[in-house]
Amino acid sequence: MSHTATTIPRNDSPAGKCDYCGHPFPTTDRLVLHKGLEHPQQLDDSEVEAFHEARSNETDELRTLRLKALGALVLLYFGLLFMYAIFA
Amino acid sequence: MPSSPDSETNTGASEGRHTDLCLRSRLRNRVVSNTKLRLFVQFVTWVAILTLFTETVVAGNGMTLSKQPRDTLAIPRWLYLATGGATIGASALLASFVTDRAFIRYLHNWSLSGPTVDNWRTPFVWVGRGLGVVVLGLAVYLGVTGPQLPTASFTILVTFVVVRAGLPMLTYLGGNLWPVLNPWRGIVSLLPTGFRTYPEGLARWPAVGGLLLLVWVEVIFPVSTIPSVLSIAILGYSVVTIAGAVLVGPNAWFKNADPLSVLFRFFGAVAPVKRRDGKLAVKLPGSDLTDSDLITDTSDVAFVIALIWELTYSGFITTQTGAATIETLVNLSNIGVGAVQIRAILIYTLLFVSGYVVFFGAYWYAGVVSRRRTGTYITAKRIAFRFAPSLLAIAAGYHLAHYTGLAVSLSPALGMAIVSPLSPPANPLTLSPPGWFEGLSIAYVLVGHLLAIWAAHATAYELFSSRLVAIRSQYPFIVVMIGYTVISLWILSLPGATPPYLP
Repeated sequence: MSHTATTIPRNDSPAGKCDYCGHPFPTTDRLVLHKGLEHPQQLDDSEVEAFHEARSNETDELRTLRLKALGALVLLYFGLLFMYAIFA
Repeated sequence: MPSSPDSETNTGASEGRHTDLCLRSRLRNRVVSNTKLRLFVQFVTWVAILTLFTETVVAGNGMTLSKQPRDTLAIPRWLYLATGGATIGASALLASFVTDRAFIRYLHNWSLSGPTVDNWRTPFVWVGRGLGVVVLGLAVYLGVTGPQLPTASFTILVTFVVVRAGLPMLTYLGGNLWPVLNPWRGIVSLLPTGFRTYPEGLARWPAVGGLLLLVWVEVIFPVSTIPSVLSIAILGYSVVTIAGAVLVGPNAWFKNADPLSVLFRFFGAVAPVKRRDGKLAVKLPGSDLTDSDLITDTSDVAFVIALIWELTYSGFITTQTGAATIETLVNLSNIGVGAVQIRAILIYTLLFVSGYVVFFGAYWYAGVVSRRRTGTYITAKRIAFRFAPSLLAIAAGYHLAHYTGLAVSLSPALGMAIVSPLSPPANPLTLSPPGWFEGLSIAYVLVGHLLAIWAAHATAYELFSSRLVAIRSQYPFIVVMIGYTVISLWILSLPGATPPYLP
């Protein structure tokens, strides 16, 4: 994950840059997650704490996303089932 | 339903004196109905597209049904295509449940190390390339002097059953043996080389051009039916390859400019068997498709898309619908200038190039959309580079679907041609694959796409630190993959035909 292949749109201001590799991020959460995953050895305590918090927030959002995915799967399944009942 | 926003406004106008609260709720109703309207319009558009699509399919069949009343599908075609697309979509949804980075990394790093091969490499290479040179020489010689019947010709059988069908299958199902077998490399190793340095800026563009040219020659010229024509084509390819490799040195030439070597190198990325640090290693199939050093230039992406497109294209023109499309276009282009054959070649070329541009554009646009939707600062180009290796699994699936039948039906003829290349039997045996082979092709296409979905999922997790972003970044690519699947499954469901106007 090198920071060389990044561009920042003109009317956009990044929330921060990674102190260790210079990768810019649009939100602080993503920056914190990046630091925790890519440079775990170099973090201080507050950064580690921030990482764990961002991660648990993300887990909550992931749960919602999973529910939506499950809903979509159910819809897809029953949709196809009815289609087969009608047309095949 | 389309009148609902109007009726909303009418009731709104009659109740204009109501309180602020009422106004706000009305406004909200208005917004809801606007969304509803938009959804409705989208729904109607989709239904229209689907109806048009299925109707053209039916029309295509109707035109040609009189010749060959063969339609093995027991369900409506659109339902079959929708099921195929839904399989890909559902597996993408399922993949999004796997959010454990450690698990993904474990699967992709899993490997079983085998015996050391580096001590054996030199004799292997000598034997392999020696064999390659002998086969190449025999193929060129026998194409001119041998029998001119395609199923009895050593040249045609070796070129199409071995190099076009068998070796790529061996490469993506087993491992890449081409560097060991490459006859041109064997010849070049005996010559003085490296008079110029290869211009780095060209990257793999010569290979992209070469691959497209090879497929074009395969379609336009009777290389698969007349052995002497194929001999000339092989000679031409050999001259270009040897000249190029002598000029820039074999390493640079076969890495960048030789279409066959690049093709086998890319298909080898899907393979389970690899050579790592002088040892053979077995990995899970497709687990190297997350490598960031596989695709490093736009030309690499162009090559991968060309692999997918050439298989789609040669599949399409050998169906009745494809033949009917070509005939219609050739008739439409009749403006009184040029012979039918010339116009047909132009139409074939135009269809080949424009379809390729559409396939490439769709993929590239997916990269742009992925960047915009996730708001990431990683460039669209880099996103496109990282997701492109997953398309190799799709290309492998297409290849297997399109060439298994050919390889099986011509394998006895190939066996006889290899046993007695100088005096092959006058009437060689060809097998006709059983009906369930078609079902198998559908399975190959789907399995290729499923592997690609998984590879894309794993790539997204390597590329993005946020798991939510990683999931969202895949959506546009999944849409493109569903599109590729539906097109490929559609082609597989069409009855076969001989491409018209070609010699």
